[in-house]
Amino acid sequence: MTNERTITWTWLALVAITLGSWWLAPAHSRGVASASIAVTCVVLGLAAIKARLIIRNFMEVRSAPGWLKLATDAWLGVLLASVLVIYLI
Amino acid sequence: MWVMVLGDLVIFGGYFIVFMIYRSMNPTAFLAAQQHLNITIGVVNTVILLTSSWFVAQAVLCVRGGDPDRAVRLLWGGAASGVAFMVLKCYEWYREIIAGQTNSDMFYSFYYVITGVHLVHLLIGLIVLGVLVRELRTPGRGRVWMIESGATYWHMVDLLWVIIFALLYVMR
Repeated sequence: MTNERTITWTWLALVAITLGSWWLAPAHSRGVASASIAVTCVVLGLAAIKARLIIRNFMEVRSAPGWLKLATDAWLGVLLASVLVIYLI
Repeated sequence: MWVMVLGDLVIFGGYFIVFMIYRSMNPTAFLAAQQHLNITIGVVNTVILLTSSWFVAQAVLCVRGGDPDRAVRLLWGGAASGVAFMVLKCYEWYREIIAGQTNSDMFYSFYYVITGVHLVHLLIGLIVLGVLVRELRTPGRGRVWMIESGATYWHMVDLLWVIIFALLYVMR
């Protein structure tokens, strides 16, 4: 079961990562933004952390049956891995 | 609820993959178009939606703890944050359209469709929150499983937005 503290620290972590993303965005750079594999990898990594925090702590999959943990992890893993592969090729 | 949520996640996953395929065909044009997005609006809207999820997650705990009145107040907080997200999203679209960023650009046609379909989900989420408030206010009701199911849907809207934010606003 989730408790109030878990929900609040999850929210804090999510907000902190979101504010951090502000600096990485192409709209933030002056002049013409350049593509960056490093930035994209960091962005996808941070998205994975955020998505998993929401799934596990807000949606309470942390205390759900094994099949649901597996299904949500599979969705996230396959999606972000596909995004990265399509980006790189 | 989870069957519907998983189905929706797969459908959105499809949108994201198609977006990436088109992006990989012309990454320079997509990146240039991305630069016109207002990242500050994107960040503020993300924080608003995360906060709405905080309210709804706390509401579930209150229902379990036998405090439906506080749960209703928290659900109102979640709904108000959802409405704030919608208003800011509409303002963002207005800004982009006025600046000439329309469907004629491939990136922006994805942007309007993906954020638009997401906004429809958020609208459905607001109706769900209304149903939860009604459930808690009806004497003899307040079924915990129903509140948990509605909350799961609301968090899915948040989850999808986190991915949309990364793909449309931040990645290069």
